[in-house]
Amino acid sequence: MQNRPSGFGNPWLQLVLSVACVLVSEFLLKRGATEVANTDSAWSWTGVNGLASPLVWWAILLIIASFISWLYVLRYIPITIAFPLSRVVDILVPLGCWIFLGELISPLRWCGIALVVTGLALVAKPIAQIEERL
Amino acid sequence: MSFLAFFLIVVSLVTFVAAQLILKRAMEGTKTSGFRNTQFVWRVTWGVVLMTISFFLTLGLLQRFDLSYLYPFQGLSVIFITLMAAIVLKEKLNARLAIGALLISIGIVLVSLS
Repeated sequence: MQNRPSGFGNPWLQLVLSVACVLVSEFLLKRGATEVANTDSAWSWTGVNGLASPLVWWAILLIIASFISWLYVLRYIPITIAFPLSRVVDILVPLGCWIFLGELISPLRWCGIALVVTGLALVAKPIAQIEERL
Repeated sequence: MSFLAFFLIVVSLVTFVAAQLILKRAMEGTKTSGFRNTQFVWRVTWGVVLMTISFFLTLGLLQRFDLSYLYPFQGLSVIFITLMAAIVLKEKLNARLAIGALLISIGIVLVSLS
């Protein structure tokens, strides 16, 4: 992680941007795929008919943006650290639904969120040590 | 869930994990040989092809299953990528990282099951 750029080129900032793009694209993909679902068609298993939805195209644009950010992240951060951290998106989805949509979170789901947060803290600890040494 | 659905979920997961490892290797290579070499182009091309296959399979599965149903399988990718990066890419994997990845995977499964 040495000689890494700062500012907008900071790989940690790019990781955050990549996660944000994935988060929004997940919602768009689900809505778009459901909108044009035609399970009678044999081709629907391939997902190609999802392209009929504009929401899917917006999601694809965001996925391309997150992909470019992700490539940049991979250049500087070990994947054993970057990939687990990127899965923060998996708790941001239910938390977003709870905060913005008022949806209830079951006790089991809270336990899952707590486990993910603990796992993220364990993965992030070595990063803090590496950053301190730089 | 039919055998076909299970098979497509596995293929989607395997192609995704393979793509991530290939892309990591491609980007690692740019530190020494830059972006203008055929090896980099081939690796990124393979990575993009595998990601595209995984993407369309996921899109097809999303039309039949809820996102919450498919998420536990995505959670497994954390474990697979962490282990494969240590084995294939020789990245350092200590107990803290391994336990962290395991907790994240279990957490993702619990979040999607409930």
